[in-house]
Amino acid sequence: MKYGLFLGCNISFNRPDVEQAMRKIFPALGVELDDLKGQSCCPTWGTLPSIDIVGWCAVAARNLALGEEKGIDLMTACNSCYGSLNEARHKMLSDPKIMERVNEILSKIGKRYEGRAKCRHVAWVLYKDVGLEKIKESIKYSLDGITIAVQPGCHFLWPSEVYPDKEEDPFNPVVLRELCKALGADAPYYSKLIDCCGMGALRSTDPEKSFILVKEKLQCIKEEIDADLIVTTCSSCLIQLDDAQEQLRKKGEIDFSIPVLHYVQLLAICMGFEPEQVAGICVTPRDEIIGRILEGGKR
Amino acid sequence: MPKIGVYICHCGENIAGAVNIEEVKKFVEKLPDVVVVRDYLFMCSDPGQELIKEDIRKGLVDRVVVAACTPRTHEPIFRRACEEAGLNKYYFEMANIRDQCSWAHWHDKEKATEKAKQLIAAAVAKARLLEPLEDRYIDLNKNVLVIGGGIAGIFASLDLANAGFKVYLVEKSPSIGGNMAKLDKTFPTNDCSACILTPLMVEVANHPNVELITYAEVESVEGTVGNFKVRVRKKQTYVDWNKCTGCGACLNVCPPKARVPDEFNEGLSLRGAIYIPFPQAVPKKAVIDPDACISCSGRWFGEEPRRTKDGKPILAPCEKVCPTGACSRDEPRDPNGEIVELDVGAIIVATGYRVMDKSNFKEFSPESPNVITALQMERLISATGPTEGKLIVPSDIPKYLDWKKKVEKGKEAKLEVRKPHTITFVSCVGSRDERYHTYCSKVCCMYMLKQAMLLKEKYPDLDIYIFFIDVRTPGKDFDEYYMRCRKLGIKIIKGKVGGVQRLPDERLLVKGFDADLGKPVELISDIVVLATAIEPNMDLKDLARKLGISVGAEGFLRERHTKLYPVDTLTEGVFICGCAQGPKDIPDSVAQAKAAASSAMSLLAPGKMRVEPLISEVDQKKCSGCGICVPLCPYGAIELVDVNGKKRAKVNEAKCKGCGVCAAACPSKAITLHGFTYEQVLAQIRTLARRGEVSA
Amino acid sequence: MIEGVPPVLNLTELAEREKEEGKVSEIIIRFGAENLMACMQCGACASICPLARVGFEWFNKKLIKAILVGMKEELLDDPTPWACVACNRCTEICPRQVSPFEVMFAMRRLMVEEFAIPTLAIEALRALYEYGHAVYMTGREARKKVGLPEKPPSTDSDEKALQDLRTILKETKLAQLGLIPME
Repeated sequence: MKYGLFLGCNISFNRPDVEQAMRKIFPALGVELDDLKGQSCCPTWGTLPSIDIVGWCAVAARNLALGEEKGIDLMTACNSCYGSLNEARHKMLSDPKIMERVNEILSKIGKRYEGRAKCRHVAWVLYKDVGLEKIKESIKYSLDGITIAVQPGCHFLWPSEVYPDKEEDPFNPVVLRELCKALGADAPYYSKLIDCCGMGALRSTDPEKSFILVKEKLQCIKEEIDADLIVTTCSSCLIQLDDAQEQLRKKGEIDFSIPVLHYVQLLAICMGFEPEQVAGICVTPRDEIIGRILEGGKR
Repeated sequence: MPKIGVYICHCGENIAGAVNIEEVKKFVEKLPDVVVVRDYLFMCSDPGQELIKEDIRKGLVDRVVVAACTPRTHEPIFRRACEEAGLNKYYFEMANIRDQCSWAHWHDKEKATEKAKQLIAAAVAKARLLEPLEDRYIDLNKNVLVIGGGIAGIFASLDLANAGFKVYLVEKSPSIGGNMAKLDKTFPTNDCSACILTPLMVEVANHPNVELITYAEVESVEGTVGNFKVRVRKKQTYVDWNKCTGCGACLNVCPPKARVPDEFNEGLSLRGAIYIPFPQAVPKKAVIDPDACISCSGRWFGEEPRRTKDGKPILAPCEKVCPTGACSRDEPRDPNGEIVELDVGAIIVATGYRVMDKSNFKEFSPESPNVITALQMERLISATGPTEGKLIVPSDIPKYLDWKKKVEKGKEAKLEVRKPHTITFVSCVGSRDERYHTYCSKVCCMYMLKQAMLLKEKYPDLDIYIFFIDVRTPGKDFDEYYMRCRKLGIKIIKGKVGGVQRLPDERLLVKGFDADLGKPVELISDIVVLATAIEPNMDLKDLARKLGISVGAEGFLRERHTKLYPVDTLTEGVFICGCAQGPKDIPDSVAQAKAAASSAMSLLAPGKMRVEPLISEVDQKKCSGCGICVPLCPYGAIELVDVNGKKRAKVNEAKCKGCGVCAAACPSKAITLHGFTYEQVLAQIRTLARRGEVSA
Repeated sequence: MIEGVPPVLNLTELAEREKEEGKVSEIIIRFGAENLMACMQCGACASICPLARVGFEWFNKKLIKAILVGMKEELLDDPTPWACVACNRCTEICPRQVSPFEVMFAMRRLMVEEFAIPTLAIEALRALYEYGHAVYMTGREARKKVGLPEKPPSTDSDEKALQDLRTILKETKLAQLGLIPME
């Protein structure tokens, strides 16, 4: 199994600990990573998608072609990249005129995209390709007694028709819950599980408004399931829930603290990799929960 | 020598606008055997027809060619005109110089005129060879088959039976009554559904002219109008209905392990393997569902019973408790059931509808027991429902049933169930939706208002919200009903619900939109009722194929004409009514049922039917008995028979529809299609090939 | 009162304006919202839209209505379309397959043509052209801290790839509109 590791801007520069986590866990689980040298921004929603469709697809196609020319698919840990790349691919596959225009542009740099290579999500690769059994076997620390609030994130679920892997019920997602349960934790349902965290354009446009969504989410998590940890499959949700949480505390709007991790980071910790490297960058403190994991659940 | 009269119609501007009538007239006058040529503005009008009739009566013409519009609509008119004037109506031929000429070539008047000339010349060529034919009559069987025992099927049967026709009423379930039996009250009068339905069910079951065949389905249909041969497959009941009194003793002794979701209660409760569908069932007889039966006595159907040490047979509890010996496991299981053959002259399809299952609509958390369909809500508030009409949250129904069992056994038990404070209705779930059905299910706006009104009148403290996209209440007294609901304080919100999320303790968070306020709204509800779309019953496509009728893109039976023939189909003798034709409420279903019955009566009352003589005939002297024609006939109307020790083809006049496939295929040219003989058709072809030079 | 929109909307004026300038709905359709006209204004999209929830003015259903009625100038200064997170929950549940998300982004593309773009968007585009990343940080401590090479294996460390990206960007509408300097 080999995948091109598509990083995206936020992971590369803001949260490289997530990148490190992936570079550690995947080889250990039998998934070879290709650097996908020369990758760029997916392109993110505020750039080309807001300007013109063909431009959007051309930039996306260049990234996808990096995998296609090596005969591999891409995988990413950022929901926004997952969304942008797959939507672009869907547009290219649905409208031959767009595909033609895109390849006209790509020919200027000597490249071509045929629509074969797709971008998968690391969570799906772990769930489907690696499998829950293998994950269970590979961990050194288990999460018994720990309650996790999962945040799959909007782009993991919708629009379901463009993604190569689909949840059976996109309004009651189970993949991330199963992945957390494989580590020994409880990952219960809470009523605002599928609600948007407000990151991305919403936050750039009006941070105050985006904090409303974060506050609702956190309060729901605290009241309904009193989670020890929030785990997400999206780097944007990670940054939002991690950082906005601190802002809310500063304003006195919430009085609790729940650490936030990307699933690959949690898995990396459970597999015994160095927490400083795989989970060293955060705003809401993580030391307590990491300490608890390393002490409590030695298998 | 035939004397041909040619009558050219201007059809207002439709023909004259492109075809030069004068030029055509001059051309036609010169054609062989043409003695009279006339033109008129509207040939089909009374004065137009008089022109033709006068010429016939005066003896000027004995063949008529009309050059006008399409024979599909106007041939019968002119044929009748000929007949009224005393000429055999099959001495008539029509040339279509409108649809196939002037309309098609509107912008090329020269060529249109040329083509008109040639089309008329071809018609004249055929007219010279026309034969006088006599209409034939086929005898009609006056029995009628009604498929489906819901309100529509019941009314169709009653009207026919009262008029003296024998009716076979075939119903798939063990009891008639259909979906209407499941309703609590009906809008807009809020009549108790069972109260108005049950007398009709009893009337139809007891009617001397109605033979009720329930727990049965139509297996196959052969024949055509007036002479259908229908095979009906009756399922095994495992209870002798001749002995069963419907006392219900067996229901109570069926062991708890043999439980399946109760169809009548839309899955809200369970029923045993032996069951009577509902208390007012007609016929009120028990039935054993072999897929649910667990053979608690250790004896499968048809096997020898186990015996005690003294040799006494060990009977199943249902066998033991039956006072009349109707319930017996002696009969082996035969999945093929029993086939009954019926001869009928007409068939009425009234198979009704089902509602879409809630599990399709993932955005509304259908896994929650407190998210239910409207039909389930109807059962919940019904006195014959799972909680005898007590309003509790559906998630507590198992607790209620447990409590009931304890009380029946005489034990002490406390009933701890939650009553709802807030109920939300969601419209257009699966209807008006490109992902499921694009049509509007028509009855949901009214039934949501009805359910809300019944609940609000009974429990004034209930907070009730109905989310509509549009409020559709067009029927008689419907809008007044809607206003009453608003005045009662039922909260009407215009805006579709986009999501329902589960909350702790089985409450639900409803995310909606209020278009009047222009804001998203949300509320916490104890029950969410989804008005899911009405669909045709699952096997309707299969049944339609057996009957030779078709279903539309959305699965409902297709009527002959949307506006003018809503209960007829393109297959003569087969009529449709009720929700099988499209979503509608009870008054409309009844109206269509009566219409279908009336159509069937009009068809069958004369006892005979006039059929065109334009059918095939085999010249057995020319027939070689090769049999090529037999499998080609789409109507199974031609067969090989023994004639003096040799095989010869013979056409069944009653079945032949005159399609001509056999005539075209016969290698010996032994088959003639009257009205389209080889000579007639060849004459037309040669005339056209010679650009209007009439040829024999 | 919504800024820029009069208390009573004169539909005749809007219709006249559309006759002269072209129908707004046609522009939006051209920019990618192919199924715009199928909308029946049921409101399901608005009931679950995060923007509507937090109080943005021209969320999906309202924006579509405004477009259908012919409003354009009145909408150009509104930040709502730029706040859309592209969650696509609206697309998932729309009974008419309109994809309100496409309408939002088509509106962005219209606004871009009229040069009504928020500053942050321009900056992201600049960064994209400069470095190949819309989000970029020159500080390298974070990467070093977790034990990774200073630069990710992207256009940040691959000059040819960056030039390739720039070549592509020069072929897009970005270049035609001249929104950012592109040497």
